[in-house]
Amino acid sequence: MNFWFAVFRQAGRNLRQTWTSQLMTFLTVSLSVLIFAFFYLIYTNMIGASDRLSDDLRLIVYLEDDPGPEMQEQLRRKINNFDKTEAILFISKAEAYERFAKQLGKDSDILTDMPKDFLPASIEVVPLKSLRGYNQIKLFSEYLATLPGSEKVQYGQEWVERFYYVTRLVTIVVLLSGTLLILTATFMVAYTIRLTIMGRHEELELLKLVGATNNYIRTPFLLEGTIQGFMGSIIGLCALYILFQWISRHFAGPGLLNIFNFSFFPPMVIVCIIFGSIGLCTIGSFTSIQKFLKI
Amino acid sequence: MSRPVPTQDPVETKKLPGNTMIEMIKVSRTYVPDITALSDISFAVDTGELFFLIGRSGAGKTTLLKLICNMDTPSKGLIEVAGHNINNLKGNKLAHLRQKIGVAYQDFKLLSDRTVAENIAIAMEVSYKKASAIRLRVRDLLDQLQLADKHDTLTGDLSRGEQQRVALARSVANSPRLILVDEPTGNLDATTTERVMELLNRSNKAGATIVIATHDASIYKDGNHRVMELRNGKIHSLSRNSR
Ligand SMILES: Nc1ncnc2c1ncn2[C@@H]1O[C@H](COP(=O)(O)OP(=O)(O)OP(=O)(O)O)[C@@H](O)[C@H]1O
Ligand SMILES: [Mg+2]
Repeated sequence: MNFWFAVFRQAGRNLRQTWTSQLMTFLTVSLSVLIFAFFYLIYTNMIGASDRLSDDLRLIVYLEDDPGPEMQEQLRRKINNFDKTEAILFISKAEAYERFAKQLGKDSDILTDMPKDFLPASIEVVPLKSLRGYNQIKLFSEYLATLPGSEKVQYGQEWVERFYYVTRLVTIVVLLSGTLLILTATFMVAYTIRLTIMGRHEELELLKLVGATNNYIRTPFLLEGTIQGFMGSIIGLCALYILFQWISRHFAGPGLLNIFNFSFFPPMVIVCIIFGSIGLCTIGSFTSIQKFLKI
Repeated sequence: MSRPVPTQDPVETKKLPGNTMIEMIKVSRTYVPDITALSDISFAVDTGELFFLIGRSGAGKTTLLKLICNMDTPSKGLIEVAGHNINNLKGNKLAHLRQKIGVAYQDFKLLSDRTVAENIAIAMEVSYKKASAIRLRVRDLLDQLQLADKHDTLTGDLSRGEQQRVALARSVANSPRLILVDEPTGNLDATTTERVMELLNRSNKAGATIVIATHDASIYKDGNHRVMELRNGKIHSLSRNSR
């Protein structure tokens, strides 16, 4: 008979005695882990997607006319004056035409009647990786619009803008559901542990009288919180994984998910969520023990 | 938990001479508003002694036993058990001392939703005795107290006399150095009373100090032991039985 055997036996008795409220707590913890992890998964995927999008991000400045070599040099200097860039690429009308023709491939014969200069010349500016915030890109594009000969600046404004706001929204939801998780986990666990302590009042008193040490009495309750946190997070994450599989299967193929390249949490994040949940539930049981198990 | 501040210097916890198990000096216990359960009690019990505490109902016997096992704290005075000032003990030290004190409470304090065997085992489980040793000891005690067939009965379903014996079995199970017994024979017939006293005498021979609070003259009138009588919370007499 050693300490841990005694602790596990006692925790088992606790679970058996108040199993209905234990089950409720367990479900609540699972559900809040599920909700939090769901939004967090969306969040990480959006961050991943926005990274990928901004890798491809380039600002295109359409020009009135093909710039001569001197003009190119001047433009290049002006652009770099505002901020350093990854690359600046000049595309003449002819080059634009050839690109377009190439993109059309075997349909390129529809271009035969078109004049070779019907497409405008442009500058492709690839901003520095460090300049990828939404506001910075916007400022940059406003600056580019003031360049001499510039007609219009394009970088998929609407897309970027919408994406930016959705990301912000998801961040808020993640924070809210995270708070929810913290509150439910700690309060529900604290509540059930309190119930258990009340229900076992007589036995706890007796244990003290026959000389049970504080650890002997308290550890089973702490362990109970730990088990709740562990089981709750495992089940919550499993449910999320099943949901994730279902979504990937049903929305597979070209479309939104491909841009997102929807992927599940890396192992590190899973471990963090599990330990976070365990920590919170243990804290919950600890507060109850401190309050209701005076020794 | 707020304890009354002991009147003695709290640092003073020096060991008593090895042959004193319990020492009380000027101990009083009053309950609000003005009930004096014990007043000015001073006496000592030697290690290995079989000591009887008698007195009418309400004399303060239970209160005295509760003070000795630190279930209750004195309003005034000093209590030392096995050389420890028991009211200054806290936490694990108190727990370890309590493991060495077996108490059979007047109200039994059995867990009614657990079996007889489980109730007795509790006292041994808290000091991490081996499960096999616990099983053996429980069987042995139940045999001695003629309860062998009640091993798996819930204590809530037992008669009072049976419950009383389970409480006694629990108090001696962990082979404590000090055994406090409150009314061990209140609900028992003569033969069973004898069994109970045999068990206690055996523990006493094995070295345990035993304090028995009782009304039952039949269990203390024979033998060569000290009997202390309480009256209205005061020591009325303390004398050695001389057969
Ligand atoms: N918690 C308490 N609050 C108030 N009064 C108490 C309390 N406990 C005991 N008393 C009083 O203290 C006195 C002594 O009680 P105690 O239980 O020690 O008597 P006793 O000698 O054990 O009696 P009995 O033989 O009936 O068991 C009684 O008058 C009792 O009413
Ligand atoms: Mg009494």
